[in-house]
Amino acid sequence: MTVLERQRARLKWQEEHFQQHQQESYFSELSGVFSSQTGHVQGFHQGGLMSCGGAAGGDSVLSDVMMTRQLKPDPGLETAWPELGKKVDMGAMGFGPCGYGNGQSFDMNQAISRTSSCPPAMAAVEAVEVKGNLEKMGLAVGRESFKKRKVEKLQNSKVVAEDDSKRIKASEEEEEESKITGPNTKKSSNNNKETSGDTSKENSKVSDVQKPDYIHVRARRGQATDSHSLAERVRREKISERMKYLQDLVPGCNKITGKAGMLDEIINYVQSLQRQVEFLSMKLATVNTRLDFDIDNLYGKDVFPSCTSNFSTVGNMPPELANHPPYVQFNPIQQVVSGCGVEMGINSSDMALRRTISASVLIPDASLLNTSCFTGMQQIQPSAAWDVELQNLYNVAFTGSIEGSDLKMEM
Amino acid sequence: MKEQRRVYPMEPRTIMQTSFAKTYLNYLLPELANIGKPASSLSVDRYVDKEIEKTVRYEVDMALALSAQGFAWSHALEHKLRLNVNNNNQVGKSQSYLSHDGYRNTMPVNHEPATEKLEGNPKRSGTEAAAEEEERLTYLRKLIPGGSGEMMLDDEILLSELGSYVSCLELQVNVLRSVLQLN
Repeated sequence: MTVLERQRARLKWQEEHFQQHQQESYFSELSGVFSSQTGHVQGFHQGGLMSCGGAAGGDSVLSDVMMTRQLKPDPGLETAWPELGKKVDMGAMGFGPCGYGNGQSFDMNQAISRTSSCPPAMAAVEAVEVKGNLEKMGLAVGRESFKKRKVEKLQNSKVVAEDDSKRIKASEEEEEESKITGPNTKKSSNNNKETSGDTSKENSKVSDVQKPDYIHVRARRGQATDSHSLAERVRREKISERMKYLQDLVPGCNKITGKAGMLDEIINYVQSLQRQVEFLSMKLATVNTRLDFDIDNLYGKDVFPSCTSNFSTVGNMPPELANHPPYVQFNPIQQVVSGCGVEMGINSSDMALRRTISASVLIPDASLLNTSCFTGMQQIQPSAAWDVELQNLYNVAFTGSIEGSDLKMEM
Repeated sequence: MKEQRRVYPMEPRTIMQTSFAKTYLNYLLPELANIGKPASSLSVDRYVDKEIEKTVRYEVDMALALSAQGFAWSHALEHKLRLNVNNNNQVGKSQSYLSHDGYRNTMPVNHEPATEKLEGNPKRSGTEAAAEEEERLTYLRKLIPGGSGEMMLDDEILLSELGSYVSCLELQVNVLRSVLQLN
Protein backbone atom coordinates (compact mmCIF):
# COMPACT_ATOMS: atom_id res chain seq x y z
CA MET A 1 0.00 0.00 0.00
CA THR A 2 1.20 3.44 -0.64
CA VAL A 3 2.04 5.80 2.08
CA LEU A 4 -1.02 7.93 1.50
CA GLU A 5 -3.34 5.00 1.52
CA ARG A 6 -1.90 3.85 4.73
CA GLN A 7 -2.25 7.21 6.27
CA ARG A 8 -5.83 7.50 5.26
CA ALA A 9 -6.70 4.07 6.42
CA ARG A 10 -4.97 4.70 9.65
CA LEU A 11 -6.90 7.83 10.32
CA LYS A 12 -10.12 6.18 9.38
CA TRP A 13 -9.43 3.45 11.79
CA GLN A 14 -8.45 5.96 14.36
CA GLU A 15 -11.71 7.81 13.96
CA GLU A 16 -13.64 4.63 14.22
CA HIS A 17 -11.85 4.02 17.41
CA PHE A 18 -12.87 7.37 18.75
CA GLN A 19 -16.48 6.51 18.31
CA GLN A 20 -16.15 3.20 19.95
CA HIS A 21 -16.18 3.61 23.62
CA GLN A 22 -15.56 0.22 24.85
CA GLN A 23 -11.90 0.56 25.35
CA GLU A 24 -12.44 1.20 28.97
CA SER A 25 -13.18 -2.43 29.33
CA TYR A 26 -9.77 -3.15 28.02
CA PHE A 27 -8.30 -0.93 30.62
CA SER A 28 -9.86 -2.76 33.43
CA GLU A 29 -8.53 -5.99 32.16
CA LEU A 30 -5.13 -4.82 31.29
CA SER A 31 -4.52 -2.59 34.18
CA GLY A 32 -3.58 -5.42 36.36
CA VAL A 33 -0.79 -6.46 34.12
CA PHE A 34 1.28 -3.36 34.12
CA SER A 35 2.92 -1.11 36.54
CA SER A 36 2.92 2.48 35.51
CA GLN A 37 4.26 5.64 36.94
CA THR A 38 1.12 7.67 36.91
CA GLY A 39 -2.48 7.01 36.40
CA HIS A 40 -2.49 9.16 33.33
CA VAL A 41 0.21 7.28 31.63
CA GLN A 42 -0.99 3.83 32.26
CA GLY A 43 -3.28 3.92 29.32
CA PHE A 44 -0.41 4.19 26.95
CA HIS A 45 1.39 1.15 27.99
CA GLN A 46 -1.43 -1.18 28.41
CA GLY A 47 -2.34 -2.03 24.92
CA GLY A 48 1.17 -2.69 23.86
CA LEU A 49 0.53 -6.34 23.75
CA MET A 50 -1.98 -6.06 21.03
CA SER A 51 -0.08 -4.76 18.18
CA CYS A 52 3.36 -6.15 18.48
CA GLY A 53 2.73 -8.42 15.63
CA GLY A 54 2.04 -5.82 13.06
CA ALA A 55 4.03 -6.26 9.98
CA ALA A 56 3.83 -5.73 6.28
CA GLY A 57 2.16 -8.96 5.49
CA GLY A 58 -0.11 -8.90 8.43
CA ASP A 59 -1.53 -5.47 7.86
CA SER A 60 -4.92 -6.24 6.56
CA VAL A 61 -5.27 -9.31 8.64
CA LEU A 62 -4.51 -7.47 11.78
CA SER A 63 -6.76 -4.67 10.82
CA ASP A 64 -9.54 -7.16 10.43
CA VAL A 65 -8.81 -8.53 13.80
CA MET A 66 -8.81 -5.14 15.30
CA MET A 67 -11.98 -4.14 13.55
CA THR A 68 -13.79 -7.10 14.91
CA ARG A 69 -12.42 -6.27 18.25
CA GLN A 70 -13.88 -2.87 18.01
CA LEU A 71 -17.33 -4.16 17.52
CA LYS A 72 -17.39 -6.45 20.43
CA PRO A 73 -17.27 -5.50 24.04
CA ASP A 74 -15.69 -7.51 26.76
CA PRO A 75 -16.57 -10.98 25.59
CA GLY A 76 -14.91 -10.20 22.34
CA LEU A 77 -11.74 -9.34 24.06
CA GLU A 78 -10.98 -12.81 25.18
CA THR A 79 -11.69 -14.28 21.81
CA ALA A 80 -9.70 -11.67 20.04
CA TRP A 81 -6.60 -12.38 22.00
CA PRO A 82 -5.91 -15.84 20.70
CA GLU A 83 -6.62 -14.72 17.18
CA LEU A 84 -4.21 -11.96 17.55
CA GLY A 85 -1.72 -14.26 19.04
CA LYS A 86 -1.75 -16.43 15.97
CA LYS A 87 -1.46 -13.55 13.68
CA VAL A 88 1.26 -12.10 15.71
CA ASP A 89 3.45 -14.92 14.70
CA MET A 90 2.70 -14.25 11.11
CA GLY A 91 3.70 -10.75 11.62
CA ALA A 92 6.92 -11.67 13.21
CA MET A 93 8.10 -13.12 10.00
CA GLY A 94 7.72 -9.82 8.37
CA PHE A 95 10.12 -8.21 10.72
CA GLY A 96 13.21 -9.76 9.46
CA PRO A 97 13.60 -8.26 6.07
CA CYS A 98 12.41 -4.81 7.00
CA GLY A 99 15.31 -2.51 7.42
CA TYR A 100 15.71 0.15 9.96
CA GLY A 101 16.71 3.63 9.14
CA ASN A 102 19.05 3.93 12.01
CA GLY A 103 21.38 1.57 13.56
CA GLN A 104 20.04 2.43 16.95
CA SER A 105 16.71 0.99 16.09
CA PHE A 106 18.14 -2.40 15.58
CA ASP A 107 17.47 -3.35 19.13
CA MET A 108 13.94 -2.24 18.69
CA ASN A 109 13.54 -4.59 15.81
CA GLN A 110 14.69 -7.44 17.89
CA ALA A 111 12.65 -6.34 20.80
CA ILE A 112 9.57 -6.13 18.73
CA SER A 113 10.04 -9.49 17.12
CA ARG A 114 10.76 -10.94 20.47
CA THR A 115 7.62 -9.44 21.81
CA SER A 116 5.49 -10.45 18.93
CA SER A 117 6.39 -14.05 19.12
CA CYS A 118 5.27 -14.29 22.67
CA PRO A 119 1.77 -15.18 23.70
CA PRO A 120 -0.26 -12.14 24.46
CA ALA A 121 -0.03 -12.45 28.16
CA MET A 122 3.67 -12.55 28.02
CA ALA A 123 3.72 -9.90 25.42
CA ALA A 124 2.06 -7.65 27.89
CA VAL A 125 5.02 -7.74 30.16
CA GLU A 126 7.51 -7.44 27.41
CA ALA A 127 5.65 -4.67 25.80
CA VAL A 128 6.55 -2.59 28.76
CA GLU A 129 10.16 -3.35 28.15
CA VAL A 130 9.74 -2.55 24.54
CA LYS A 131 8.25 0.71 25.52
CA GLY A 132 11.15 1.41 27.73
CA ASN A 133 13.58 0.65 24.96
CA LEU A 134 11.68 2.76 22.57
CA GLU A 135 11.71 5.65 24.91
CA LYS A 136 15.40 5.47 25.35
CA MET A 137 16.12 5.14 21.71
CA GLY A 138 13.43 7.49 20.69
CA LEU A 139 15.15 10.47 22.13
CA ALA A 140 18.24 9.92 20.11
CA VAL A 141 16.47 9.04 16.95
CA GLY A 142 13.74 11.50 17.50
CA ARG A 143 15.90 14.51 17.23
CA GLU A 144 17.10 13.54 13.84
CA SER A 145 13.69 12.62 12.64
CA PHE A 146 12.17 15.82 13.78
CA LYS A 147 14.46 17.78 11.64
CA LYS A 148 13.50 15.68 8.72
CA ARG A 149 9.82 15.72 8.95
CA LYS A 150 6.82 17.16 10.57
CA VAL A 151 4.72 15.10 12.79
CA GLU A 152 1.10 15.15 13.50
CA LYS A 153 -0.39 16.07 16.77
CA LEU A 154 -2.95 13.67 18.01
CA GLN A 155 -5.44 13.74 20.65
CA ASN A 156 -4.37 11.71 23.53
CA SER A 157 -7.38 11.44 25.66
CA LYS A 158 -8.32 8.21 27.19
CA VAL A 159 -9.85 7.02 24.00
CA VAL A 160 -6.77 7.65 22.02
CA ALA A 161 -4.64 6.16 24.67
CA GLU A 162 -6.20 2.84 24.13
CA ASP A 163 -6.24 3.55 20.48
CA ASP A 164 -2.57 4.23 20.31
CA SER A 165 -1.52 1.56 22.60
CA LYS A 166 -3.03 -1.01 20.37
CA ARG A 167 -1.03 0.03 17.44
CA ILE A 168 2.55 -0.32 18.35
CA LYS A 169 4.47 -0.22 15.22
CA ALA A 170 6.13 -2.84 13.24
CA SER A 171 9.39 -2.47 11.51
CA GLU A 172 8.28 -0.12 8.80
CA GLU A 173 7.25 2.40 11.27
CA GLU A 174 10.28 2.31 13.34
CA GLU A 175 11.36 5.74 12.35
CA GLU A 176 8.13 7.36 13.14
CA GLU A 177 7.72 5.32 16.22
CA SER A 178 11.04 6.16 17.61
CA LYS A 179 10.82 9.76 16.86
CA ILE A 180 7.51 10.07 18.47
CA THR A 181 8.00 7.86 21.42
CA GLY A 182 10.86 9.95 22.49
CA PRO A 183 9.41 13.20 23.55
CA ASN A 184 5.92 12.40 24.40
CA THR A 185 5.39 9.11 26.00
CA LYS A 186 4.92 10.71 29.32
CA LYS A 187 2.74 13.54 28.24
CA SER A 188 -0.75 13.27 27.03
CA SER A 189 -2.30 15.88 24.94
CA ASN A 190 -5.97 16.48 25.24
CA ASN A 191 -6.11 18.72 22.31
CA ASN A 192 -8.92 17.65 20.08
CA LYS A 193 -8.44 20.22 17.43
CA GLU A 194 -5.51 18.79 15.65
CA THR A 195 -6.64 15.24 15.65
CA SER A 196 -8.47 14.99 12.42
CA GLY A 197 -7.69 16.21 9.03
CA ASP A 198 -3.98 16.26 9.32
CA THR A 199 -3.33 13.32 7.14
CA SER A 200 -1.71 15.23 4.43
CA LYS A 201 0.95 16.55 6.68
CA GLU A 202 2.04 13.22 7.86
CA ASN A 203 4.65 11.76 5.70
CA SER A 204 5.82 8.72 7.47
CA LYS A 205 5.49 5.25 6.27
CA VAL A 206 2.80 3.99 8.50
CA SER A 207 0.81 0.92 8.12
CA ASP A 208 -2.85 1.45 8.34
CA VAL A 209 -3.31 -0.70 11.33
CA GLN A 210 -0.50 0.09 13.61
CA LYS A 211 0.11 3.33 15.26
CA PRO A 212 2.78 3.97 17.74
CA ASP A 213 2.08 4.70 21.28
CA TYR A 214 3.06 8.30 21.18
CA ILE A 215 1.85 11.74 20.50
CA HIS A 216 2.39 13.46 17.23
CA VAL A 217 3.41 16.99 17.73
CA ARG A 218 3.75 19.34 14.88
CA ALA A 219 6.79 21.47 14.99
CA ARG A 220 5.72 24.97 14.25
CA ARG A 221 7.45 27.20 11.83
CA GLY A 222 10.25 29.07 13.42
CA GLN A 223 10.15 27.05 16.59
CA ALA A 224 12.59 24.57 17.85
CA THR A 225 11.99 21.06 16.75
CA ASP A 226 13.84 19.66 19.66
CA SER A 227 11.95 16.86 21.27
CA HIS A 228 12.28 18.48 24.64
CA SER A 229 10.86 21.80 23.61
CA LEU A 230 8.04 20.09 21.79
CA ALA A 231 7.18 18.17 24.89
CA GLU A 232 7.32 21.37 26.84
CA ARG A 233 5.02 23.03 24.41
CA VAL A 234 2.51 20.24 24.71
CA ARG A 235 2.72 20.50 28.43
CA ARG A 236 2.23 24.22 28.41
CA GLU A 237 -0.76 23.91 26.16
CA LYS A 238 -2.30 21.38 28.44
CA ILE A 239 -1.73 23.57 31.42
CA SER A 240 -3.34 26.52 29.72
CA GLU A 241 -6.25 24.34 28.72
CA ARG A 242 -6.75 23.37 32.33
CA MET A 243 -6.47 26.97 33.38
CA LYS A 244 -9.19 27.86 30.92
CA TYR A 245 -11.41 25.20 32.36
CA LEU A 246 -10.81 26.56 35.82
CA GLN A 247 -11.58 30.00 34.54
CA ASP A 248 -14.97 28.82 33.42
CA LEU A 249 -15.53 27.12 36.70
CA VAL A 250 -14.63 29.96 39.01
CA PRO A 251 -17.10 32.80 38.70
CA GLY A 252 -15.82 36.20 37.80
CA CYS A 253 -12.58 35.15 36.24
CA ASN A 254 -13.24 36.35 32.77
CA LYS A 255 -11.62 39.71 33.23
CA ILE A 256 -8.49 38.47 34.85
CA THR A 257 -5.80 37.73 32.36
CA GLY A 258 -2.70 36.91 34.31
CA LYS A 259 -2.00 33.43 35.46
CA ALA A 260 -1.13 34.58 38.95
CA GLY A 261 -4.36 36.56 39.18
CA MET A 262 -6.28 33.55 38.06
CA LEU A 263 -4.63 31.44 40.70
CA ASP A 264 -5.50 34.07 43.26
CA GLU A 265 -9.12 33.88 42.29
CA ILE A 266 -9.05 30.13 42.42
CA ILE A 267 -7.53 30.21 45.87
CA ASN A 268 -10.16 32.60 47.09
CA TYR A 269 -12.93 30.57 45.60
CA VAL A 270 -11.71 27.31 47.03
CA GLN A 271 -11.34 28.89 50.43
CA SER A 272 -14.80 30.38 50.30
CA LEU A 273 -16.29 27.06 49.25
CA GLN A 274 -14.53 25.27 52.04
CA ARG A 275 -15.74 27.84 54.52
CA GLN A 276 -19.26 27.43 53.23
CA VAL A 277 -19.06 23.69 53.63
CA GLU A 278 -17.84 24.10 57.16
CA PHE A 279 -20.60 26.54 58.00
CA LEU A 280 -23.25 24.35 56.45
CA SER A 281 -22.03 21.28 58.24
CA MET A 282 -22.15 23.09 61.56
CA LYS A 283 -25.63 24.21 60.79
CA LEU A 284 -26.50 20.68 59.86
CA ALA A 285 -25.16 19.48 63.18
CA THR A 286 -27.40 21.85 65.10
CA VAL A 287 -30.38 20.91 63.00
CA ASN A 288 -29.56 17.30 63.48
CA THR A 289 -29.89 17.48 67.20
CA ARG A 290 -33.24 19.16 67.04
CA LEU A 291 -35.16 17.46 64.30
CA ASP A 292 -36.16 13.94 63.93
CA PHE A 293 -34.53 12.24 61.07
CA ASP A 294 -37.14 9.61 60.50
CA ILE A 295 -37.66 11.05 57.10
CA ASP A 296 -34.46 9.39 56.10
CA ASN A 297 -35.91 6.01 56.85
CA LEU A 298 -38.83 6.71 54.59
CA TYR A 299 -36.43 7.90 51.98
CA GLY A 300 -34.38 4.79 52.28
CA LYS A 301 -37.25 2.33 52.20
CA ASP A 302 -39.66 3.63 49.66
CA VAL A 303 -37.65 5.17 46.97
CA PHE A 304 -34.80 2.83 46.34
CA PRO A 305 -36.64 -0.31 45.34
CA SER A 306 -38.64 1.52 42.73
CA CYS A 307 -35.58 3.25 41.40
CA THR A 308 -33.20 0.39 41.13
CA SER A 309 -35.59 -1.60 39.03
CA ASN A 310 -35.98 1.29 36.66
CA PHE A 311 -32.32 1.99 36.36
CA SER A 312 -31.59 -1.18 34.56
CA THR A 313 -34.20 -0.59 31.92
CA VAL A 314 -33.57 3.02 31.25
CA GLY A 315 -29.88 2.74 31.50
CA ASN A 316 -29.64 0.43 28.56
CA MET A 317 -31.20 2.71 26.11
CA PRO A 318 -28.45 5.02 25.01
CA PRO A 319 -26.24 2.94 22.84
CA GLU A 320 -23.06 4.77 23.48
CA LEU A 321 -23.25 4.14 27.15
CA ALA A 322 -24.37 0.57 26.81
CA ASN A 323 -20.85 -0.64 26.85
CA HIS A 324 -20.05 0.86 30.19
CA PRO A 325 -21.63 -1.38 32.76
CA PRO A 326 -20.35 0.61 35.67
CA TYR A 327 -21.79 3.79 34.30
CA VAL A 328 -25.05 2.61 32.88
CA GLN A 329 -26.82 3.45 36.07
CA PHE A 330 -25.80 7.05 35.81
CA ASN A 331 -27.80 7.59 32.74
CA PRO A 332 -31.18 7.80 34.40
CA ILE A 333 -29.75 10.47 36.62
CA GLN A 334 -28.77 12.54 33.69
CA GLN A 335 -32.17 12.03 32.23
CA VAL A 336 -33.64 13.10 35.48
CA VAL A 337 -31.63 16.20 35.28
CA SER A 338 -32.52 16.96 31.73
CA GLY A 339 -36.15 16.23 32.38
CA CYS A 340 -36.21 18.49 35.37
CA GLY A 341 -34.40 21.29 33.78
CA VAL A 342 -36.55 21.59 30.74
CA GLU A 343 -39.94 21.33 32.33
CA MET A 344 -40.98 24.63 33.65
CA GLY A 345 -44.41 23.74 34.83
CA ILE A 346 -43.28 21.89 37.87
CA ASN A 347 -45.36 21.45 40.93
CA SER A 348 -44.06 23.50 43.76
CA SER A 349 -44.48 20.69 46.19
CA ASP A 350 -41.66 18.62 44.89
CA MET A 351 -38.94 21.05 44.20
CA ALA A 352 -36.18 20.59 46.65
CA LEU A 353 -34.49 17.52 45.37
CA ARG A 354 -34.94 18.39 41.77
CA ARG A 355 -33.38 21.68 42.48
CA THR A 356 -30.63 19.92 44.27
CA ILE A 357 -29.82 17.59 41.52
CA SER A 358 -30.28 19.97 38.69
CA ALA A 359 -28.51 22.69 40.54
CA SER A 360 -25.65 20.47 41.31
CA VAL A 361 -25.27 19.63 37.69
CA LEU A 362 -26.05 23.04 36.37
CA ILE A 363 -23.50 24.92 38.27
CA PRO A 364 -20.55 23.16 36.85
CA ASP A 365 -22.08 22.60 33.48
CA ALA A 366 -24.23 25.55 32.69
CA SER A 367 -24.28 24.74 29.04
CA LEU A 368 -26.29 21.64 29.60
CA LEU A 369 -29.54 23.17 30.72
CA ASN A 370 -31.09 26.48 30.24
CA THR A 371 -29.92 28.73 32.99
CA SER A 372 -33.21 30.49 33.05
CA CYS A 373 -34.78 27.25 34.17
CA PHE A 374 -32.33 27.11 36.97
CA THR A 375 -33.05 30.58 38.27
CA GLY A 376 -36.75 30.04 37.89
CA MET A 377 -36.66 26.90 39.89
CA GLN A 378 -34.70 28.42 42.65
CA GLN A 379 -37.55 30.63 43.64
CA ILE A 380 -39.92 27.79 44.24
CA GLN A 381 -40.20 26.87 47.84
CA PRO A 382 -39.78 23.29 48.86
CA SER A 383 -42.45 21.96 51.05
CA ALA A 384 -43.02 18.26 50.73
CA ALA A 385 -41.33 15.43 52.46
CA TRP A 386 -38.35 13.64 51.02
CA ASP A 387 -40.02 10.54 49.85
CA VAL A 388 -42.78 12.25 47.95
CA GLU A 389 -40.32 14.46 46.20
CA LEU A 390 -38.05 11.66 45.30
CA GLN A 391 -40.81 9.56 43.91
CA ASN A 392 -42.04 12.41 41.83
CA LEU A 393 -38.56 13.03 40.75
CA TYR A 394 -38.04 9.55 39.51
CA ASN A 395 -41.47 9.40 37.96
CA VAL A 396 -40.68 12.41 35.91
CA ALA A 397 -37.53 10.79 34.77
CA PHE A 398 -39.02 7.56 33.68
CA THR A 399 -42.41 8.52 32.40
CA GLY A 400 -41.51 11.78 30.82
CA SER A 401 -39.48 12.27 27.75
CA ILE A 402 -35.93 11.25 27.76
CA GLU A 403 -34.14 14.16 26.37
CA GLY A 404 -30.68 15.39 26.18
CA SER A 405 -29.08 12.20 27.16
CA ASP A 406 -25.76 13.42 25.94
CA LEU A 407 -24.21 15.60 28.49
CA LYS A 408 -21.85 18.00 26.99
CA MET A 409 -18.43 16.88 27.84
CA GLU A 410 -16.41 19.44 29.63
CA MET A 411 -12.98 18.11 29.78
CA MET B 1 -0.93 0.97 43.78
CA LYS B 2 -4.66 1.28 43.98
CA GLU B 3 -4.65 3.84 41.22
CA GLN B 4 -3.51 1.31 38.70
CA ARG B 5 -6.78 -0.44 38.82
CA ARG B 6 -8.80 2.65 38.17
CA VAL B 7 -11.11 2.43 35.26
CA TYR B 8 -11.07 5.66 33.39
CA PRO B 9 -14.48 6.59 32.10
CA MET B 10 -14.90 8.58 28.98
CA GLU B 11 -16.19 11.60 30.74
CA PRO B 12 -15.24 11.38 34.35
CA ARG B 13 -16.46 14.76 35.36
CA THR B 14 -19.84 14.67 33.68
CA ILE B 15 -20.60 11.17 34.82
CA MET B 16 -19.54 12.03 38.30
CA GLN B 17 -21.64 15.15 38.34
CA THR B 18 -24.80 13.40 37.37
CA SER B 19 -24.49 10.90 40.13
CA PHE B 20 -22.87 13.11 42.74
CA ALA B 21 -25.99 14.37 44.44
CA LYS B 22 -27.52 10.96 44.63
CA THR B 23 -24.42 9.27 45.96
CA TYR B 24 -23.77 12.06 48.38
CA LEU B 25 -27.20 11.99 49.88
CA ASN B 26 -27.31 8.23 49.91
CA TYR B 27 -24.33 8.24 52.14
CA LEU B 28 -24.93 11.30 54.20
CA LEU B 29 -28.55 11.04 55.22
CA PRO B 30 -28.42 7.62 56.81
CA GLU B 31 -25.25 8.60 58.58
CA LEU B 32 -26.86 11.73 59.90
CA ALA B 33 -29.81 9.72 61.04
CA ASN B 34 -27.48 7.47 62.94
CA ILE B 35 -25.91 10.44 64.61
CA GLY B 36 -29.24 11.97 65.35
CA LYS B 37 -30.83 9.08 67.10
CA PRO B 38 -28.44 8.46 69.93
CA ALA B 39 -27.87 12.17 70.35
CA SER B 40 -31.49 12.85 71.07
CA SER B 41 -31.37 10.60 74.04
CA LEU B 42 -28.30 12.27 75.49
CA SER B 43 -28.37 15.46 77.39
CA VAL B 44 -27.45 18.30 75.17
CA ASP B 45 -24.42 19.90 76.61
CA ARG B 46 -21.56 21.60 74.94
CA TYR B 47 -19.32 18.64 74.82
CA VAL B 48 -21.85 16.56 73.02
CA ASP B 49 -22.52 19.35 70.61
CA LYS B 50 -18.89 19.51 69.77
CA GLU B 51 -18.83 15.81 69.26
CA ILE B 52 -21.79 15.94 67.03
CA GLU B 53 -20.28 18.76 65.09
CA LYS B 54 -17.14 16.84 64.53
CA THR B 55 -19.00 13.76 63.54
CA VAL B 56 -21.20 15.63 61.16
CA ARG B 57 -18.20 17.29 59.62
CA TYR B 58 -16.56 13.94 59.26
CA GLU B 59 -19.58 12.50 57.56
CA VAL B 60 -19.87 15.49 55.29
CA ASP B 61 -16.29 15.12 54.21
CA MET B 62 -16.56 11.40 53.84
CA ALA B 63 -19.65 11.81 51.71
CA LEU B 64 -17.69 14.11 49.47
CA ALA B 65 -14.82 11.69 49.17
CA LEU B 66 -17.09 8.77 48.38
CA SER B 67 -19.22 10.65 45.90
CA ALA B 68 -16.29 11.65 43.78
CA GLN B 69 -14.40 8.47 43.22
CA GLY B 70 -11.54 8.38 40.84
CA PHE B 71 -9.74 11.55 41.72
CA ALA B 72 -6.49 11.79 43.57
CA TRP B 73 -7.87 14.29 46.03
CA SER B 74 -10.90 12.20 46.88
CA HIS B 75 -8.71 9.22 47.51
CA ALA B 76 -6.42 11.27 49.70
CA LEU B 77 -9.34 12.75 51.56
CA GLU B 78 -10.84 9.39 52.31
CA HIS B 79 -7.53 8.09 53.45
CA LYS B 80 -6.95 11.07 55.69
CA LEU B 81 -10.37 10.79 57.24
CA ARG B 82 -10.00 7.13 58.00
CA LEU B 83 -6.58 7.73 59.43
CA ASN B 84 -7.89 10.43 61.67
CA VAL B 85 -10.64 8.21 62.86
CA ASN B 86 -8.17 5.60 63.91
CA ASN B 87 -6.04 8.12 65.69
CA ASN B 88 -8.74 10.00 67.47
CA ASN B 89 -10.95 7.18 68.43
CA GLN B 90 -11.11 7.99 72.07
CA VAL B 91 -11.74 11.62 71.41
CA GLY B 92 -14.43 10.99 68.89
CA LYS B 93 -14.55 11.21 65.16
CA SER B 94 -12.07 13.26 63.28
CA GLN B 95 -11.96 16.96 62.91
CA SER B 96 -12.40 18.66 59.65
CA TYR B 97 -9.69 17.89 57.19
CA LEU B 98 -9.22 21.60 56.96
CA SER B 99 -8.73 22.01 60.66
CA HIS B 100 -5.06 22.60 60.23
CA ASP B 101 -5.99 25.79 58.51
CA GLY B 102 -4.01 28.15 60.59
CA TYR B 103 -2.47 29.46 57.46
CA ARG B 104 -5.79 30.07 55.84
CA ASN B 105 -5.84 33.77 56.41
CA THR B 106 -2.18 34.40 56.39
CA MET B 107 -1.72 34.09 52.70
CA PRO B 108 -1.40 37.56 51.32
CA VAL B 109 -3.82 37.33 48.49
CA ASN B 110 -4.02 40.76 46.99
CA HIS B 111 -5.83 41.22 43.77
CA GLU B 112 -5.03 44.78 42.84
CA PRO B 113 -1.31 44.82 43.33
CA ALA B 114 -0.95 41.54 41.53
CA THR B 115 -2.79 42.63 38.46
CA GLU B 116 -1.13 45.97 38.54
CA LYS B 117 2.21 44.35 38.62
CA LEU B 118 1.39 42.22 35.70
CA GLU B 119 -0.01 44.99 33.62
CA GLY B 120 2.18 47.82 34.72
CA ASN B 121 5.48 46.11 34.17
CA PRO B 122 5.33 44.26 30.94
CA LYS B 123 9.03 43.83 31.06
CA ARG B 124 8.81 42.21 34.41
CA SER B 125 11.10 39.29 34.45
CA GLY B 126 9.55 35.97 33.75
CA THR B 127 11.11 34.46 36.80
CA GLU B 128 9.29 36.80 39.16
CA ALA B 129 5.96 35.90 37.67
CA ALA B 130 6.90 32.27 37.75
CA ALA B 131 7.88 32.53 41.39
CA GLU B 132 4.57 34.16 42.22
CA GLU B 133 2.74 31.45 40.38
CA GLU B 134 4.73 28.82 42.20
CA GLU B 135 3.84 30.44 45.49
CA ARG B 136 0.21 30.29 44.66
CA LEU B 137 0.43 26.77 43.40
CA THR B 138 2.02 25.62 46.64
CA TYR B 139 -0.73 27.35 48.52
CA LEU B 140 -3.29 25.58 46.39
CA ARG B 141 -1.56 22.33 47.15
CA LYS B 142 -2.18 22.95 50.81
CA LEU B 143 -5.82 23.65 50.18
CA ILE B 144 -6.63 20.59 48.18
CA PRO B 145 -6.63 17.30 50.06
CA GLY B 146 -3.73 15.19 49.03
CA GLY B 147 -1.99 18.17 47.58
CA SER B 148 1.27 17.29 49.19
CA GLY B 149 1.43 13.94 47.48
CA GLU B 150 3.93 13.35 44.77
CA MET B 151 1.28 13.20 42.13
CA MET B 152 0.37 16.79 42.72
CA LEU B 153 3.84 17.96 41.96
CA ASP B 154 2.96 17.88 38.31
CA ASP B 155 1.23 21.10 37.40
CA GLU B 156 -1.12 19.58 34.89
CA ILE B 157 -2.34 17.01 37.32
CA LEU B 158 -2.69 19.62 40.02
CA LEU B 159 -4.80 21.84 37.84
CA SER B 160 -7.07 19.08 36.67
CA GLU B 161 -7.49 17.86 40.23
CA LEU B 162 -8.30 21.40 41.21
CA GLY B 163 -10.96 21.55 38.54
CA SER B 164 -12.66 18.44 39.76
CA TYR B 165 -12.27 19.49 43.39
CA VAL B 166 -13.82 22.88 42.81
CA SER B 167 -16.76 21.46 40.94
CA CYS B 168 -17.31 18.82 43.62
CA LEU B 169 -17.16 21.44 46.32
CA GLU B 170 -19.81 23.40 44.51
CA LEU B 171 -21.99 20.36 44.22
CA GLN B 172 -21.50 19.60 47.85
CA VAL B 173 -22.45 23.10 48.90
CA ASN B 174 -25.61 22.92 46.84
CA VAL B 175 -26.59 19.59 48.25
CA LEU B 176 -26.00 20.69 51.80
CA ARG B 177 -27.94 23.87 51.27
CA SER B 178 -30.87 21.95 49.89
CA VAL B 179 -30.81 19.53 52.77
CA LEU B 180 -30.88 22.38 55.21
CA GLN B 181 -33.63 24.18 53.42
CA LEU B 182 -35.79 21.13 53.47
CA ASN B 183 -35.59 21.00 57.20
